[in-house]
Amino acid sequence: MPGKTPNSNGRKPVENGLQKNSKDADKSAAKGKPAAKKGAKEGEDMTVVVPPSKSTKQSSQPPPADAEGDVAMEDSEKTEEELEVKVDPVTQTISDIKSNFALLDRAVALFDARFSLRALRSISSLRKRLNPDILAQVIAESYPPTSPSASVAKQLLSAIGRENVPLGRQPTGSEMEVDSEPKTQAKNGAKKDKETNKELIPEVDVFLAILVQVYMFDTKQFQQGANFSKYLSERIHSLNRRTLDSLSAKVYFYFSLFCEQLTPQAPSPQSPVVTLRPTLLAALRTAILRKDVDTQASVIVLLLRSYLLTSHISQADLLVSHTQFPENAANNQVARFLYYLGRIRAIQLRYTEAHEHLTAATRKAPASQCALGFSQTATKLLLVVELLMGDIPERATFRANNMEQALHPYFLLVQAVRVGNLEDFESTLAEHADTFRRDSTYSLILRLRQNVIKTGIRMMSLSYSRISLRDICIRLHLGSEETAEYIVAKAIRDGVIEATLDRERGFMKSKEVGDVYATREPGEAFHDRIRACLALHDESVKAMRFPMNQHRLELKNAQEAREREREMAKEIQEGDLDEDDLGGDFDGM
Amino acid sequence: MAAERTLQQIITQLKSNPSLPYAEASSLLSKAKLVYEYGALASIRARNPDAFTRYLSQLQPFYELPSSQLKPDAEMRNKVTGLYLLLLLTQGSYAEFHSELESLGTREGIDGPDRIESDRFLGYPVKLERWLMEGSYDRVWKAMKKGEVPSEEYGVFSEILTSQIRSEIASSSERAYPSLPLSSTKSLLFLESEGAVVEFARQRGWAVRDGTIYFPTAAEAGEEEEKDISQMVIENTLGYARELETIV
Repeated sequence: MPGKTPNSNGRKPVENGLQKNSKDADKSAAKGKPAAKKGAKEGEDMTVVVPPSKSTKQSSQPPPADAEGDVAMEDSEKTEEELEVKVDPVTQTISDIKSNFALLDRAVALFDARFSLRALRSISSLRKRLNPDILAQVIAESYPPTSPSASVAKQLLSAIGRENVPLGRQPTGSEMEVDSEPKTQAKNGAKKDKETNKELIPEVDVFLAILVQVYMFDTKQFQQGANFSKYLSERIHSLNRRTLDSLSAKVYFYFSLFCEQLTPQAPSPQSPVVTLRPTLLAALRTAILRKDVDTQASVIVLLLRSYLLTSHISQADLLVSHTQFPENAANNQVARFLYYLGRIRAIQLRYTEAHEHLTAATRKAPASQCALGFSQTATKLLLVVELLMGDIPERATFRANNMEQALHPYFLLVQAVRVGNLEDFESTLAEHADTFRRDSTYSLILRLRQNVIKTGIRMMSLSYSRISLRDICIRLHLGSEETAEYIVAKAIRDGVIEATLDRERGFMKSKEVGDVYATREPGEAFHDRIRACLALHDESVKAMRFPMNQHRLELKNAQEAREREREMAKEIQEGDLDEDDLGGDFDGM
Repeated sequence: MAAERTLQQIITQLKSNPSLPYAEASSLLSKAKLVYEYGALASIRARNPDAFTRYLSQLQPFYELPSSQLKPDAEMRNKVTGLYLLLLLTQGSYAEFHSELESLGTREGIDGPDRIESDRFLGYPVKLERWLMEGSYDRVWKAMKKGEVPSEEYGVFSEILTSQIRSEIASSSERAYPSLPLSSTKSLLFLESEGAVVEFARQRGWAVRDGTIYFPTAAEAGEEEEKDISQMVIENTLGYARELETIV
């Protein structure tokens, strides 16, 4: 990772933030080795790659145009990476946390959620460096002892076990000296702002509280974490500020994570996950009423997850049918929602829908290492659903280098289904039963038995023009010829094969295979693809972001141009226009 | 009726003494559960699926109680749940069937689908479903005869299942065989006599000539499809043209 050029890092921090979160959600879904492996891998690229205080710089600059935000970052990164070596990690972390306050301030001032999202993204880079001392120091420095929000700060401090740290302490001078020239200025500027504006906005409270949550989760203090989150969610509920939306989504996210970790764990109906549901449902109701898209999306996803953990499929289905998932939700929430929806539909035997949702989920899943767990889990489910639909997944899916190992049992399964070998299928199923059960695909895979038989019959119908039922029975390891007869008859009715049965003489006779190109099949496939392309075009148009009031400017320009033209036309009519004049005007246009 | 009265009694007792000692309350609870369970079984015998579903949904909270609060009676519970699965199967609501099955996997005392299959009551509907899906109708038939049925209540569904598989077999035979002699149709459809076969053939509209059944061929739909294709192509192309116009 450190070998990467700064240029390609341009978008990196943004992605990291997103993926980290989706990984969290799927940690237990992916259960086991991929998660553990990932944790370690991520650790190293987090600390090296992510430029920590890009926002410090930005807050000292005049706010750049939004489109240029990412470009500007690249430059700052180059310098930052060099600096990072010299800076003391504790000071660095503290200043990083504080730099986010500025972002939150701007989010409130400009009423633009993007700034708070940016602050949230930095959590993943801060995460590895958090400890109670750093948190306590930040809290102590940010809250003046006399302000009304001091009680909030006290609460935060007691949550991390540092009740006795006095508020309002000033940072010591020595810490500043380590920083290089331009950054010190930036920080001083930021601090001056803070001192003049004594009252801290609630967004900062909540942001610090989220950091506390993250810290507790990483140090496995699940019970305290759950209690703290409960208090926090109540506080958020009472605040009712639109600028808090994206932050509160995060709070609920961690709240539910804490509950999942508490004993008794999920499948038991006494799990705290179940008791959390009323809170989440209340939050969902409020979020919908306040048109709070972030919280809405994340709470719906959490509820679905909680229902599926306890296998309350019908309740999950009801939730989906009674709520509308916000259209413009964050991408990773959409991916998760689609995954859960795909699961529900797969269980309900609605494979076509399940396939659609799961394909979308795997495509929307972030493509890098950090969300590997999610993509793996989604791909596994997708494979099973494809098999259930009677399709054979592409070989390339199994060859992707980070998937190969995790998908191996599924690869064997696909092989068995493809050949139609019932024996192989049974043995694979028995051998990897634990894996499948852990992935909670076992019951779906059990349903595959009939597909194996169908494929077997199809293979035989393709290879033989006439085959006796006895042979079918032996090849497919079926109980008796009678069974074979019924099964073949059903396969013919379901359109799996084109054949007829002869009962007296006991054989199956295959019909001539028709020309596929004479049917409507190719036309339909073509139509599907065109439709997908058109949908893609529409979506990309929708996804474009236009600057406010830009069209008015254009209108004005057009207006001016027309004016000029009219004047010119008038002048030409009047005949007092010489060559130079004309040329000049055209250049101007 | 008597059952309902006992239930009322229990509920009023529970309501009037919220501070009841734990042991006593749990004994009342288990009594209530028992009443519901017998109610469910009775409604199956009375062939009243609505009442059964109602009893079952009332039982659900009891089954979710931890074993410390209410001593679980696995056999009775599995029996009732198995009946519910069978009911869903005969009603053809496979989605609910599988949702229910999925939630069984997480139940206390049952770990994993293996255990479900080996259970006498739960395994029965699960196996039936698998055979039905595969098309091994003869196994379904066998499972319903010969004392394979785990309990008396399960026998109630045999009749429904028989007619269900019979119509399944009939519809697949229509496509699979050009013609069938009456005698083998009898064994194919698990019917008692050839007279019953003729009766059944009449119901389905099959032609019976010289002791052989001829199935109606499905070859009439060809012409229309041809027209459909060209119409579809035209419609699609017009659609593309319109879309292109909006883009360019």
